[in-house]
Amino acid sequence: MSTAPETLPAADPLETAPVLVGRPGDRALTEGLLRPVLEPVRKGWLALLGLLGLGVVFWLICLYQVLFKGIGVWGNNIPVAWAYDITNFVWWIGIGHAGTLISAILLLFQQKWRTSINRFAEAMTLFAVAMAGMYPIIHLGRPWLFWWLIPYPSVNRIWPNFKSALPWDVFAISTYATVSLLFWYLGLIPDLATARDAAQTRARRIVYGILSFGWRGSARHWQHWRVGYLLLAGLSTPLVLSVHTIVSFDFAISQLPGWHTTIFPPYFVAGAIFSGFAMVLTLMIPARKAFHFEHVVTLRHLDNMAKVTLATGLMVAYGYAMEWFIAWYSGSRTELFAFTNRVVGHYQMVYALQIFGNVVAPQLLWFPRVRRNVGALFLIAVAVNFGMWAERFVIIAVSLSRDFLPSSWANYSPTWVDWGTLFGSICTFGFLFMLFLRFLPAIPMSEVKELRRELEHEDRHALGAAAHAGEVGR
Amino acid sequence: MSFVLGEFGEERTLLAAARALRERGHRALDLHSPYPVAGAEEALGLRRSTVPLVTLIGGVTGAVCGYLLQWYTVGFDWPLNVGNRPPHSPPAFVPVTFELGVLFGALAIFLGLLFGYFGFPRVHHPVFEVEAFRSASIDGLWLSAEVAQGEAEGVAAALRDLGAARVSVVPGEGAP
Repeated sequence: MSTAPETLPAADPLETAPVLVGRPGDRALTEGLLRPVLEPVRKGWLALLGLLGLGVVFWLICLYQVLFKGIGVWGNNIPVAWAYDITNFVWWIGIGHAGTLISAILLLFQQKWRTSINRFAEAMTLFAVAMAGMYPIIHLGRPWLFWWLIPYPSVNRIWPNFKSALPWDVFAISTYATVSLLFWYLGLIPDLATARDAAQTRARRIVYGILSFGWRGSARHWQHWRVGYLLLAGLSTPLVLSVHTIVSFDFAISQLPGWHTTIFPPYFVAGAIFSGFAMVLTLMIPARKAFHFEHVVTLRHLDNMAKVTLATGLMVAYGYAMEWFIAWYSGSRTELFAFTNRVVGHYQMVYALQIFGNVVAPQLLWFPRVRRNVGALFLIAVAVNFGMWAERFVIIAVSLSRDFLPSSWANYSPTWVDWGTLFGSICTFGFLFMLFLRFLPAIPMSEVKELRRELEHEDRHALGAAAHAGEVGR
Repeated sequence: MSFVLGEFGEERTLLAAARALRERGHRALDLHSPYPVAGAEEALGLRRSTVPLVTLIGGVTGAVCGYLLQWYTVGFDWPLNVGNRPPHSPPAFVPVTFELGVLFGALAIFLGLLFGYFGFPRVHHPVFEVEAFRSASIDGLWLSAEVAQGEAEGVAAALRDLGAARVSVVPGEGAP
C-alpha cells in the first residue's frame, strides 16, 4: 500500500497540456484573476488605450463624413452599391459567432476547456456585433430614418416588408445582440459580486455592488441561475446558427451570379465560426501574456481553438470547392464566368489573399508543433482574419462588379473614408476590449472554481485507479 | 427575525450542518458560496426549478406574437404583392417568428431570474451586515438561518457544534 503512486498519472496520453495548471486555492485564484481589475493603472495599458483612442477619433471623423456629406464619400457606384460597408458588416458579425459558440454550444457539449475563455469570447462577440450593427444603419443613405424598419403603426400607414431578407436581418441582428448581452451579463453577476467583495476602495465597492444587483451567492439563487444559464445556452445555440444563415439570405435569395446559391447558409455559418475563432486567438494570445492568465488559459486551450479553426477552415474550403463545382455543373455561363472572374479578373489579388488566408495558411495547424507555438498561431490567426475579410469582399463587391449585362460592368475602388470606416472600427473594437479587460473580470472566476473541484474529483479517481492498478500488478 | 451566520471550511460539513438544522425544524435556511455547491438543493430540500416553464411561456409568446405581427401587417392590413406570392406566405415568416421566440424566451429567463426569482436589485440584506461575509463570494462557504429573536443564540451554538468557524448573529429590527 505504501508504494501507491504519489504523483498523478497522466489522465490521457493524447492530452499534452492541462486545462488548469496546478490546483490553486480559491483565494489565490480570485486574487490572480482580479489583479487586472483591482491593481493600479498600468502605463502600457494606458498607452495602448490612448493609441486606440486616436483610432476611435479617426473613425468618428469618417462617420461624420458619411453622415453629413452622404454615402457618396465612399467609392460605391452602380452596379457596386454594396462594397466595403456591407463587407465590414458581414465580417464583424461573423467574428461575433465564436463567442456564442464557445459559451453556448461548448457548454451543452460539456467541454471543460471552454470555462476559462467563455467570458472573453462573449465580450468579443458583443463588441463585434456592436461594430457590425453600425454599418447597415450608416449605409441607409438617410440613417436618421432607420426606425422605419421597426413595425409600428405610423402615420405613413405602411409596414416593413416581411417577405424581404433585410427586415429579417434587423430582427436577427438585434435579437443576437440582446441575447448575447443577457447571456454575458448573467454569467458576470457572480463575478461582479466577487469584485465588490475583493475591492479595497469604497467607490469600487459601490459600483460593483450596483452592477451585481446584491448577489449573495445564495444556494437558492444558484439553483435557478444554473438552470437559467443552461437554458440561455440552449436558446443561443440555434440562434447563433440562424443569424449568419439570415445574413447569407441577403445574398442567396437574390439572382446575382456568385450570390444565388443554396450552399450559402451552412458555408456562411462555418466561415463565421472560423473567423471568430481566429479573432479570439488574435486577442487571447497577447492578453493572456500581458495579464498573466497562462495558468487558466493554457496551451491546451490554444490547441483546441486551433483545432476548431482548422476544422471550420476545411468546411469553408469545401464550400469554395462546391461553389466551383456547381458553377461548372449548372451549365450557366454567367455563373461560371462569375467564378473565373474571381481568379483572373480585376480583383485577382483579393481572391489570392482569400485562398491564402482561409485555405493555405490554416493547413499548418495540422502539425501539433505549430498549434503549440504561440507566435505561429498568432500569425495564422491574423492571416485568417485577413482572408475572411477578403472572402466577404470577393463575394459582395466582385460579384456585383460583373453582373449579367456587360454594359453595366464597373470596377470599384475604395476612398480614404472606406478605409477609415474599416480601420476605425477595428480601433474602436480594440478600445472597447481594452476597457473590458481593465474593468470587468475577464476570466469567469466562479466557473473556474467549480471547474477546479471537478478536476480534483477526477484527480482522486485517477489516483485511486492507479493505486488499484498497482495492487493488481503486484 | 434574526439572522445567524456561520462559515464552514468544507462542503461536506456545510451540507451536513444544513441537513442537521433542517432536521431540527429550521426551514428558512440558505447556503452562500462563490460557486454552486453540488448537493445544496438536496440538503436544503429545494424543489425543482420552475425556470424552464417561464422560458417556455416566454418563447411561445414571442413566436406567436412574431407570426401574428407579420400576418397582420403584410398579410392582412396592407397586403403586399411580391412576385405574385400570396400575401400570407408562411415560409417567408419563419425567420422573424423564430427570432422573436428566442428573444422573448431569453428576456423571460433574464428578467424572470433577476426580478422574480432573485428579488433583485437588493443591495441591502442582513447577511451583508457581517464584514467577514465578504468571503462568501471569494472562498468562503456560509450557512445562514433566519430564526426568531429568542432562538438565535441556540442556533448559533448549534452551528458551532456542527463545525462552523466565525459564527455571528445579525439581530433583526426591534432587537434590544
